[in-house]
Amino acid sequence: MDKIKIGIPRSLYYYYFKDLWQIFFEKLNIDIVISPKTNKEIIDKGISMSNDEMCMSLKIYIGHVSYLLDKCDYILIPRIDNYGLENQTCTNFLATYDIINNLFNKKIINYNIDLFQNETELKGFLKLNKILKRNKKQIKIAYEEALKESLNIKDKKMMKNINNLKNKKIKILLLGHPYNIYDEYIGDPIVNYLKNNNIEIIYSDLFDSKKCINKSNILTNSCYFKYNKENIGSILLSKKYIDGIIFLTTFPCGPDSLVNELVMRKINTPFINLIIDDSNILTGFETRLESFIDILERKKIHE
Amino acid sequence: MKNCYLGIDIGSISTKAVIIDDENKIILSTYIWTEGNPISSTKNLIKKIKGKLPNQYIIKGIGTTGSARKLIGLMLDANVIKNEITAHAIGTLSIYPDTKTILEIGGQDSKIIIINNEVITDYSMNTLCAAGTGAFLSSQAERLKINIEDFGKYAISSNNPVKIAARCTVFAESDLIHKAQMGYNKEDIIAGLCKSIVLNYLNNLSKGKKIEQRIVFQGGVSKNIGVIKYFNEILKTQVTVDENSHLMGALGIAILAKQNKTNKIYNLDLLNVKFETKGFECNKCSNNCEIIKIYKENKLIDAWGSRCGRTFNDENNVKS
Amino acid sequence: MGNYYIPAKYLLSHILDVNILDPVKITSKTIEIGTKYSPEFVCTPFKYTLGTLIENIEKKSNILIQAGGGCKYGYYAELQEKIIKDLGYDVIFINLVSQGKTDFKKIYHEFKKIDKNFNIWSSLYYLFITTKMIRYMDKIDNYIRHNIGFEIDKNDFKNTNQEMLNAFLKTKGFFDLFKIYKKYNKKIKKIKVNKPKECLKVGIIGELYTIMEPFSNYFLETELASMNIEITRFTNVHYLLFEKKYKIKKEMKRIKKYIKYKMGADAADNIAHTKYLCDQKIDGIIHIKASFCTPEIGAMPIINKIAKEHDIPVLFFTFDANTSEVGIKTRLEAFHDMIERRKKNEKLLSRN
Repeated sequence: MDKIKIGIPRSLYYYYFKDLWQIFFEKLNIDIVISPKTNKEIIDKGISMSNDEMCMSLKIYIGHVSYLLDKCDYILIPRIDNYGLENQTCTNFLATYDIINNLFNKKIINYNIDLFQNETELKGFLKLNKILKRNKKQIKIAYEEALKESLNIKDKKMMKNINNLKNKKIKILLLGHPYNIYDEYIGDPIVNYLKNNNIEIIYSDLFDSKKCINKSNILTNSCYFKYNKENIGSILLSKKYIDGIIFLTTFPCGPDSLVNELVMRKINTPFINLIIDDSNILTGFETRLESFIDILERKKIHE
Repeated sequence: MKNCYLGIDIGSISTKAVIIDDENKIILSTYIWTEGNPISSTKNLIKKIKGKLPNQYIIKGIGTTGSARKLIGLMLDANVIKNEITAHAIGTLSIYPDTKTILEIGGQDSKIIIINNEVITDYSMNTLCAAGTGAFLSSQAERLKINIEDFGKYAISSNNPVKIAARCTVFAESDLIHKAQMGYNKEDIIAGLCKSIVLNYLNNLSKGKKIEQRIVFQGGVSKNIGVIKYFNEILKTQVTVDENSHLMGALGIAILAKQNKTNKIYNLDLLNVKFETKGFECNKCSNNCEIIKIYKENKLIDAWGSRCGRTFNDENNVKS
Repeated sequence: MGNYYIPAKYLLSHILDVNILDPVKITSKTIEIGTKYSPEFVCTPFKYTLGTLIENIEKKSNILIQAGGGCKYGYYAELQEKIIKDLGYDVIFINLVSQGKTDFKKIYHEFKKIDKNFNIWSSLYYLFITTKMIRYMDKIDNYIRHNIGFEIDKNDFKNTNQEMLNAFLKTKGFFDLFKIYKKYNKKIKKIKVNKPKECLKVGIIGELYTIMEPFSNYFLETELASMNIEITRFTNVHYLLFEKKYKIKKEMKRIKKYIKYKMGADAADNIAHTKYLCDQKIDGIIHIKASFCTPEIGAMPIINKIAKEHDIPVLFFTFDANTSEVGIKTRLEAFHDMIERRKKNEKLLSRN
């Protein structure tokens, strides 16, 4: 029988699970293909296939999926409902599997994380045994090793991020969901601009998730969006060291619209709020970033 | 004497009139700018028609459609008042019975209508804003100091349309200015604008709809050869544009007026009749409805807008 | 939200020794205020509820109670409290949910703070009555919705319903409530209607706030009734609180061809209801939601697909503060024309 090939869209879930997935499939000797960095074609395709009210990030995701259609046998789309009731995700993370399944006629490989219903990540992976043609024992071993190694990789990145806090340069916390921060078209232009201007970027996703979630209580005590709690926690863990914060959001992100608003009303650190949608995704934010950096530099001199 | 029927389509930008005979043949047609005042533009329109209509015809029915259909319908005592979606479909089908898709871009809105066996089976109207409608094109033409009639000519002379973000007029306009500052030439910008209108239209309205031949493109913007070019290019097929493509709504409503005719004869004697509308906010209950009152010769003849079913007398008081 | 302030008022006035003010009815001013102080692309119900809260403070309320749950509703309260306090209003704000859960211990303590005599057992008794009251209200409402388009004397249904609600508010106990319900149930069913056998039937589905607050959907149901259309809808408070939980399992099975999971908030319910309405060969479906309602946006392509497969027309509406009422009316009229002509055509075809 032919070997199967699994397609992974470089968007949304990818930025949370890329190491885990890559190592896992490598260990099981299963081929994967990852869509390229977001490009104009992917964006256009995504916009044309999606409902115009969907958020920009989901539109881009749909573009990545359509890129992969003829390049693999299955597309990997997990469903992530919650990590307990007080740690839920955005409803798009619940719905993407079904949206894609109805939009395209393509086989999907899918697992579900719903800790409230006792559906763990491991259980989800084990259920993939038939499609992957591997036995449960093989999967369990591969998963556990991949998990360990991916956590090690993250630890190293976090160490670097935290070390950067001690840097003498101007430091800006880039706060947003990883699928936005690291996207070629959303976060990259901002990251590049900051780097070219000699700014040290602190990434909101490279902090310990548990610590962040615990700390987030200080700024918001009724929040139940896991990813937003992680973002907010990063402010509290880094605020002594950073000069400013950039809130990066895609239009119209539901959880961000509420949580970021509340947080912006409570913090003293200087910040700007950048909202990306399909009309400004290509034009950039140079002017706003330039003036923001100016303000931070002046402030630093005065201190 | 022969019977004829008048159809008027009062849009936000232009007011169109068509008179047809018993065979649905157009006897005469005309259009003028609405200029924000449907009452006076209708009066002017009627004046034009009265001068042109041959003596042997008597008007046996009047229909109104378009955004001011209700007001003008009341003013002319029309026997049919119908929305523009139905009117457009009926008008188009009378000329092209095999129509399956109608693409329409007007002054303030755009729509797509899907037809199967001469019955509307699906439609949608633009949901976001005025980006990609006639009004937006006109304002951009003005900014670029180009006659709107020449817009299409400029567009088709370009081989390299500029990419323009057109989700919303505000963004599109700032993007246009941005592109002009970067030094793109006029032709490429105009072509880009025409293309973005087509893309925006298709992204907005045609999701999940099958666009099948025959495809008829109409509304004011269908006069723009640049937009036609990009519809053909993007849909990879040929769209039909009738020479009377801007009159389909008026034609449709004229046909409906014919189908609903009574024994009444209309003489169009309203040039000297004074019509007025007054708006006020009713504070009788917490709905705070905006009420529009219509006066004929200073006499209140109707009031609209009440959600609770109240009726009103002259002094803004509640009658019942 | 709609008439549901009546059971809420009934409950609170019996369990707390405070003066309950009727909520100010929602008007265009409510949404204006709400929009002014809300973040730009928060979903529209946030703007409505914020507007309502501020208007009520201006009417001298000093305690605000905010419930909520599911999707983003559960998080409204914390931000709204912050916005209101930032505006300089000094009020007590009670949030019944925290971290996505309704926290009964917290509620008990909050209520105890307001009223020292707050008693949990009598409260439970009144809570029971209140849920029954909602059940009766929704039952009557469903009947009215089916028939109001065909009433012979205008406003008969509306007035009788209002009478019943007023009586509910004065009800003394469980048995009394039941008697009132029986009485008005009889009265409402006696209201004369002229309903043809083959009238047009339309189902309304969508996001819950927009469905239940008539102001936010531009009085869609009244408009449909004036076109003599029979209306079916599923979403009401009773459904959301009590039926949804056990019905959804069965419903998920019925639509497993289309979706495998619940897609957040009421998305799966609406997909199931679409399938149900299509199987009933309804003449048309209207899906309504507030702007930026993420779960419904995800459900829309699937709803559209199901309806296409069954050849049932769907009309989608997204409402926000800037929706043009004229545009809604035009689209509704065209929808009415369309389903009417389709029905006529079907009859012709079946005769041939």
